[in-house]
Amino acid sequence: MDALQQAIFRADSELSRFDPLPRVFFFDRFNRGYNGWTTLVGNYEDDIDRMHPGYQQLTPPMLSNLTHWDGGSHGAMGGTYALKTATRAKAEAQSVAIKRITFQRACPIKLEFYFTFKPEASSLKLSKLDVRSIGVLFDLQDDAHRVMPHLRYLNAHGGRSVQRWQYKDKPVDFKRFSDETVTHYHLADQDWIDLPGEAQELCYNEIPTKVNWHYAAVGFDLRSMRYTHFQCNDRVYDMSDAGSLTLDAMPNLRGMLNVAFFAEANADKRTFLYLDSVVLSGEWD
Amino acid sequence: MLQESNTAVVARGEHWRGEATTEPYETAWAREAIFFLRALKVEGDLGGVKAKVQISADGFHWADEGSSLALPATPGEVVFCRISHFGGFLRLAVTVPDGAHIQVVAALNLKA
Repeated sequence: MDALQQAIFRADSELSRFDPLPRVFFFDRFNRGYNGWTTLVGNYEDDIDRMHPGYQQLTPPMLSNLTHWDGGSHGAMGGTYALKTATRAKAEAQSVAIKRITFQRACPIKLEFYFTFKPEASSLKLSKLDVRSIGVLFDLQDDAHRVMPHLRYLNAHGGRSVQRWQYKDKPVDFKRFSDETVTHYHLADQDWIDLPGEAQELCYNEIPTKVNWHYAAVGFDLRSMRYTHFQCNDRVYDMSDAGSLTLDAMPNLRGMLNVAFFAEANADKRTFLYLDSVVLSGEWD
Repeated sequence: MLQESNTAVVARGEHWRGEATTEPYETAWAREAIFFLRALKVEGDLGGVKAKVQISADGFHWADEGSSLALPATPGEVVFCRISHFGGFLRLAVTVPDGAHIQVVAALNLKA
């Protein structure tokens, strides 16, 4: 990015807290609406009951002003509303919010977002271990492969605090509905691998209804289909050994560039993942 | 700028038996709402059974709003309920009688 463009980006009070590549695919401020983020519907054919149970549980994202029973409306970081994806009130329940675009050409891309997560404040406890994980994934396809980079922050597992970022690179088996339609549930709590380095504590605050926002950035190169960067707040991770779920290219998906955020509960209590704003940028002439 | 609108499918093929509710949905930004309810499968006698609209200040303590929908009697039938002035959270709550069952698609249409 040249100095003039960088100065223009940094003069924009809403964009200056990001560090995007020169081309901006989208800059979604959820105080302005849903911006095309929607629910993830699992594949099915003939009967909706044939959908994989992992997908059946998924609920639609919503615009939230982070209202709590004790403190009222908390609001978001850049305005009143954030995008919220909520699990059901059951341990191991998951939820997803997704946005679907395509890429114009294979190039480096960068996803940046301000986020936070909390358990539903339905008990008068710290509840710090009630969120299992939150995460982000790309779903990409070039001429040869479908590639699905997955990253998650494993906050806790069972009664154990973990606080580690992890990736996943092992594909899962497909279930075939017909010659045209298949499904695979790639979000399951298995085959996750720790990123190198120490655990990363994220500010949780002192009760479930106090909320602090965090920054994260994921760099990925659509030419090599490898990570180029990952950071969360002040921690930058070595991504040189981190792989992605890689499958043979599938029909009807060429050029796909999907971005999804997900959450998983660690107790019989809803987990909420909130996004204040998201920038997806790229680098091409 | 055009005003925001959104349709959230708050129950997608869910099977309602006994006590059932939709997941809480945040609605603070919206001024008007319609719940649509479509039956995919119906078993047993659902005559007179209504799903109640509920509101909440915090998303987990609920009160009846006063509106309700009579459950659709046959597969494919659609019923709806218009609501306004509902605050920050909406859901549907229903008690399906013993031996009866309904599979539904519930859609919540919201407009600013």
